[in-house]
Amino acid sequence: MPLNIDFQQILLHLLNFVILAGGLYFLLYRPVKSFMDKREAYYQSLDREAREKSAQAEQMRADIQARLDALDEEIRQKKNEAQQDLRRSIQAQLDESHRQAEQILADAQAAAQTEHDKMLLSVRQELAGLAAETAEKMLHQAEGDLYDQFLNMAEGGTAHEQP
Amino acid sequence: MKIDKKKLLIWLGLIAALLAAIVLTGHPAGHHESIQQAMRDAVLHDTNRISFFGLAVDPALISAMTVSVLLLLFAAVIRVFFVPRFQLVPGKFQLFLEQIVGMFANMAKTNSPHRHRFLGLYLFSAGAYIFVGTLFELFGLQAITTAGHPITLPAPLSDINAAIAMGCLSYLVILSGGISGAGLHGVGNTLKEFSLPISMSFRLFGALLSGLLVTELVYYYMQLSFLLPVLVGVLFTLLHALVQSYVLTMLTALFYGEVSEPSEKQRAARSDQKAQAA
Repeated sequence: MPLNIDFQQILLHLLNFVILAGGLYFLLYRPVKSFMDKREAYYQSLDREAREKSAQAEQMRADIQARLDALDEEIRQKKNEAQQDLRRSIQAQLDESHRQAEQILADAQAAAQTEHDKMLLSVRQELAGLAAETAEKMLHQAEGDLYDQFLNMAEGGTAHEQP
Repeated sequence: MKIDKKKLLIWLGLIAALLAAIVLTGHPAGHHESIQQAMRDAVLHDTNRISFFGLAVDPALISAMTVSVLLLLFAAVIRVFFVPRFQLVPGKFQLFLEQIVGMFANMAKTNSPHRHRFLGLYLFSAGAYIFVGTLFELFGLQAITTAGHPITLPAPLSDINAAIAMGCLSYLVILSGGISGAGLHGVGNTLKEFSLPISMSFRLFGALLSGLLVTELVYYYMQLSFLLPVLVGVLFTLLHALVQSYVLTMLTALFYGEVSEPSEKQRAARSDQKAQAA
């Protein structure tokens, strides 16, 4: 063969290389590649977990934000309701106060009227008593005077008849 | 400054004395073959053969087996002592190993995204074999030929038989990718590139042989064996070990990805199957 090409030598070289390739595969390539693949898978799983946790955290944040918004709305509604209740309560208290005040005023007026009537009656009675007493006194005085007058007149009448 | 000059003169004098001693004590008759014969044997490997269990083989085959044993020992040591201690955050050596494995795996994945697991393994093995095999000539390991002369073991792929084996195996790997990835369409695509095994084989052979010839030439003459081998031996060998590993693995990955790519009909059929399975 030209250039000393020898098929047996070629096959021996092929055999040598096949043995080498197999040995390198089992001893070096596969273990190192396997380790690299496992590490890549490990970091990918870490990355995936981190992404999932990040997504969960984002979802949780959105949920919490929604709940906070709902709570704010609820608080606003409660506040409105409380304000309305307060207004109603104040109004009721005011109405009750007005009613009580009117009642008190009416009672006071009634009491005053009664007192007034009592006083008026008492004054009347007192005046009647005083009038009666005065009349009695006047009567007594008049009786005295009358008696004196009578006496005087009586004394003066005799004089008139004698002339 | 005076002291520095004195030290420099002593150092240069020592080097000159050693050089002279080496040249004077050398054996000019040490060469058992002329430079022409050495060059011819480097190309053809028809003179110096080595007995391997009674079989006369090329020295490059012994080199290839030695490289394989070294690589497998290295891999076994790593498998036993280092792989079980791998950490999630890698140290320097673990990072080095992961870089090498990852480089070939990524090369396979990039060039053949639809089918790349076996290709990654092949590229890793071929790359490691070519790189270490090319650097092997730097070790200067000696062996005894069947004629009883000592020779320096060459780089495995500087033998045309080893280069043909590598080129044809790469072609077969590409063909297997075509068959498994695209069926008859892939076979047709692979067979269209019928010149590929020849070009791959002779590219490797030519590149490695040129390095071998230059090294052979330089080391043949003792006077050229000082300082010059640092450039032509170490730096050039390192450079073309890297280049040849990259070229063969990249070409194999490119052609593998091209021929194993499923046709439109096959893609549509596979997507239908997936949809049905889902």
